[in-house]
Amino acid sequence: MSDSESHIVSSFDRDLEALQAHLLRMGGLVEAALVNAAKALEAQDLPAADSVIIGDKAVDALEEFIQTEAASLIARRAPTASDLRLVLAVMRAAHSLERVGDYAKNVAKRTRVIGRSAPVDGHAGTIRRMSVMVAKMLEDAQLALVRKDASLAAAVRARDVEIDQMYNTLFRSLFTYMMESAGSIGPSMHLHFIAKNIERAGDHATTIAEQAIYLATGSRPSEERVKGDSTSATA
Amino acid sequence: MNDMTHKGLGLATQTAKISASGVQVHYGTNHALKDVDVTILDRTVTAFIGPSGCGKSTFLRCLNRMNDTVASCRVSGQILLEGEDIYDRRVDPVQLRAKVGMVFQKPNPFPKSIYDNVAYGPKIHGMTRNKAELDAIVEASLRKAALWGEVKDRLDATGTGLSGGQQQRLCIARAIATSPEVLLMDEPCSALDPIATAQVEELIDELRHQFSVVIVTHSMQQAARVSQKTAFFHLGNLVEFGETGDIFTNPKDPRTEAYITGRIG
Ligand SMILES: Nc1ncnc2c1ncn2[C@@H]1O[C@H](COP(=O)(O)OP(=O)(O)OP(=O)(O)O)[C@@H](O)[C@H]1O
Ligand SMILES: [Mg+2]
Repeated sequence: MSDSESHIVSSFDRDLEALQAHLLRMGGLVEAALVNAAKALEAQDLPAADSVIIGDKAVDALEEFIQTEAASLIARRAPTASDLRLVLAVMRAAHSLERVGDYAKNVAKRTRVIGRSAPVDGHAGTIRRMSVMVAKMLEDAQLALVRKDASLAAAVRARDVEIDQMYNTLFRSLFTYMMESAGSIGPSMHLHFIAKNIERAGDHATTIAEQAIYLATGSRPSEERVKGDSTSATA
Repeated sequence: MNDMTHKGLGLATQTAKISASGVQVHYGTNHALKDVDVTILDRTVTAFIGPSGCGKSTFLRCLNRMNDTVASCRVSGQILLEGEDIYDRRVDPVQLRAKVGMVFQKPNPFPKSIYDNVAYGPKIHGMTRNKAELDAIVEASLRKAALWGEVKDRLDATGTGLSGGQQQRLCIARAIATSPEVLLMDEPCSALDPIATAQVEELIDELRHQFSVVIVTHSMQQAARVSQKTAFFHLGNLVEFGETGDIFTNPKDPRTEAYITGRIG
């Protein structure tokens, strides 16, 4: 493909590469934040939760930086075709990553207040596994984007069903806890929001994967993604 | 404004103004255009883009038979203007050029008054019966070309004394004075500053409510701004032709992609 060839103006290539490098750096921070927040919950490690909360400032700053750089690149280079799609995809992906950073921060904030209890011990392991899976989806979605790899992106989209199913299982289990003991409602509600945050992070990985498909093929994926989240029917 | 955001809007109702099929052009042994098929829609701006020497101007000049004046030039294939073959022996090229007007890269006003520059075409085609009618055409053409306000008090001044941007708008006024059906513009803004360029682009957008406009441009941004259809030429071939929004966001041919993203010289 011609778009893997270099531009006549080589500084244009450097700008595009820098933009993608910043995105990957931001992605690395966000993936770590999500997993660290879930691990802090499981280990009841409050200092670790604190550093996730503090670390979100760096994520927000990087997002702002990427958006500014992208806007400047549009103004200076007037990108077209796959170059334009790349810049748009990076802008949207950075926005998605920023949201995921907020979810990780929210998980950490809830970890600080939730305390140790039976529902936490019963669910934190699953939540951690879920966070690791979502982090991997985020990583693969970004790789698909920078490599313009539509099939890797399609695989990421497909994996979101598993996340939805894990969330459904957690939801039902927490629901049962709450029905059986009123004393577990407080921590169970927190755990539910934590699970929901991570499930949403999975949706953002899917969004980034869709940007990668748009970038690679020029059109957005057509068929509706299979939604595995059935709790809106349950609740 | 162009239709990049709501592409195709109303295009279904637009009819073909010019249909070219199998157009080949040779200059002596140089095969400059190879089997070009294209349809120019009525009331639409079509941009021709492509690297230098790819045949944009050659094709543009085929559309009003300006190539007739080049001795070495041979044109074959078919070009229909509203269904009529413009290369038919009965077609008078001078009459044809009143219907298919042209604006060139360098403003080329006649060394005459502003008034006479615009009145020239209507006069030779006998379009008016008296001075009042001619005055009306001159004023209307200068207004459409967004020049009237700047020259109405000095219509007797010579056209070559205007600024470059004003001269180009004068040439556009001259080209539209004969009420053409198609206006061909070969890099009309290449000698203009950003303000004059914006004025000409605004005018092109106005004109497309009445005419078909075909514009050759080396500015990708200009093609994206002013046109609804874009044709990409490369080495004498028409490589890709489609909605401007599609060509600039998602071209189908790798040669188009390489050209518009700045990857081939
Ligand atoms: N009058 C002419 N006599 C001989 N050859 C010509 C003539 N005009 C154009 N050609 C040749 O035809 C080919 C196409 O030229 P043309 O002027 O149509 O290109 P173009 O796309 O308009 O380029 P540019 O962007 O530089 O204006 C070139 O190889 C050119 O040398
Ligand atoms: Mg030319």
